[in-house]
Amino acid sequence: MAKIGIVGAGNVGANTAFFIAERNIGDVVMYDIQEGMAKGKALDMMEAAPIRGYQRGIRGSDSFEDIADTDIAVITAGSVREPGMKREDLYLKNVEIVDELAGKMKAYDGTVVIATEPVDVMVMRFRETSGLKASRVIGLGGVLDSTRLRFALGRVLGMATETISATVIGRHSTRMMPLAEYCRVSGVPVSALMEADELEAVFEETRNAGDVIVEMSQRASSYYGPSAAAADVVQAIAWDTRRILPVSFVWDGQYGIKDVAMSLPVVLGWTGVVRVLEPELSEEQVGVLKKSAEELQAIFCCW
Amino acid sequence: MSKVSVIGAGNVGATAVYYIAEKNMADIVMVDVVPGMPQSKAIDFMHAAPSRDYNVTIVGSNDYAAIADSDVVVMTAGMARKPGMDRMDLLKTNVNIAKQAAQAIARYAPNALVIAVSNPLDVIAMVTLRESGFALKRVVGMAGILDSTRFQYFIAERLAVLPQDVMAMVLGGHGDSMVPLPRYTSVAGFPLTELLDTAAIEELVQRTRTGGAEIVGYLKTGSAYYAPAASVAKMVEAMIKDEKRFVAASAYLRGEYGHRDIFLGVPVLLGRNGVEKVYELELSDEEKKSLDASAVAVQEGVKTLEGIYTPG
Repeated sequence: MAKIGIVGAGNVGANTAFFIAERNIGDVVMYDIQEGMAKGKALDMMEAAPIRGYQRGIRGSDSFEDIADTDIAVITAGSVREPGMKREDLYLKNVEIVDELAGKMKAYDGTVVIATEPVDVMVMRFRETSGLKASRVIGLGGVLDSTRLRFALGRVLGMATETISATVIGRHSTRMMPLAEYCRVSGVPVSALMEADELEAVFEETRNAGDVIVEMSQRASSYYGPSAAAADVVQAIAWDTRRILPVSFVWDGQYGIKDVAMSLPVVLGWTGVVRVLEPELSEEQVGVLKKSAEELQAIFCCW
Repeated sequence: MSKVSVIGAGNVGATAVYYIAEKNMADIVMVDVVPGMPQSKAIDFMHAAPSRDYNVTIVGSNDYAAIADSDVVVMTAGMARKPGMDRMDLLKTNVNIAKQAAQAIARYAPNALVIAVSNPLDVIAMVTLRESGFALKRVVGMAGILDSTRFQYFIAERLAVLPQDVMAMVLGGHGDSMVPLPRYTSVAGFPLTELLDTAAIEELVQRTRTGGAEIVGYLKTGSAYYAPAASVAKMVEAMIKDEKRFVAASAYLRGEYGHRDIFLGVPVLLGRNGVEKVYELELSDEEKKSLDASAVAVQEGVKTLEGIYTPG
């Protein structure tokens, strides 16, 4: 049974532990820099175990050492957005935290799943500082965007979201790229079931989905969607399911782009990214990816 | 709690009951003509309730009256073909069983949705529709989901990916003439045609067509029931939970795809009203030709039916 470490017991961290427990995916140890926080939330969840049927343990810890011998580490530490902020505005706030964690995980033998924003740059940063293999450092970008797109498509089509696949690639920002031909219901392209302008409206809604939640709640950014996405990625790795999900990782020549992290669909398994799938893109779409890559590179090198 | 009745407590019926109970979908009634058989299976299931967390009741009966006020009735009853048995005799027997069941459904569960499962499926669905006098959308045949789930599994196995990531539409009649549509088959959104070459796809299509026979080949004296029952349970769940599930199922056509007055596997929306919509996908000439051939095969079955069947 896989051991799963969660760094940061805030909303995303705690809810990721919660979703992992609900599906009995593996044993969880949750760490937070604020003493007692992880322990308190873990104990609260375990007290629900008799009712909710948890068969694996959730443990809180005040010591980062406990993350070292896990198989999968989910990094959720860092600040979240306030109304009006873009994801990249968090870079300077969160980069030191991610750097420090990556420095401590140079000998880590598992797969790292990063939720901390701005996620694509944090994946690049973590990989460089830790020196871990690119296939072992994964960011939640496309998987969350795709989940939100599936939700929106289900609502507009009036169909069960479970039967809807959606693919969003590229940068986890308003420059994300939903791919119409790779959005399907029971195998049928959604473009056969809805008008082009309806589809474009759904894409636009997805691009802004994170911002809408920050604006609505005023106090917190979203965490149910991100936590569900994190738990899904963890499940695919922990159980070696070979599920295909779009995640962020450092590219090695895909569409001519290198050393920049963005999302593409990958086969996930025990060793992290098992295989990368490259959708067929138009020249214009490749252009958008290249533009995104330049922007990410600029933040990474020079901010 | 909703109520689901399963007519026929054989392997397909009993395994469907198992899946429905495991998800706590509905209270369940199992009806079979064999004395004691549905009762024994129902009690056996209930003995497992404490360890499997069933919150539903499962009851067995030899009397159709037990299906009273069901929300969904699943019709799995029928004789299996025994060695040396004439195909036409078997058809006559099964048509008669379906006729009686449909009359009982109309009498005891007049508001139910009916899922026809017994073979020849597209013909049995027709008998059920006629004998029940139900609205067209309330009678549907289980075939497309089963053919699709087999196709999906074969694709996942070939590509070494998770079966749940594969989605497929298999249309047409349930049998050799089924029409798998690789163009409307995807792996995590990727069109299948981007991931496998034509020859590999054709091989998997062929295996899907003979998927039922492959299992019979192994079992010798029986046929598949885990995947068929899982497909039934999916349809039941879509109806009871009003999921609006977009799937392939055998629906009564009134001109869609150029065919009328037959049951044929087509994409439908399943919800609490049964077949809430039939979708007409754009088909290539070749795909259309295959679907037409499938419709002809179903029509021949219906023609045979007219020769042996007297409406009750």
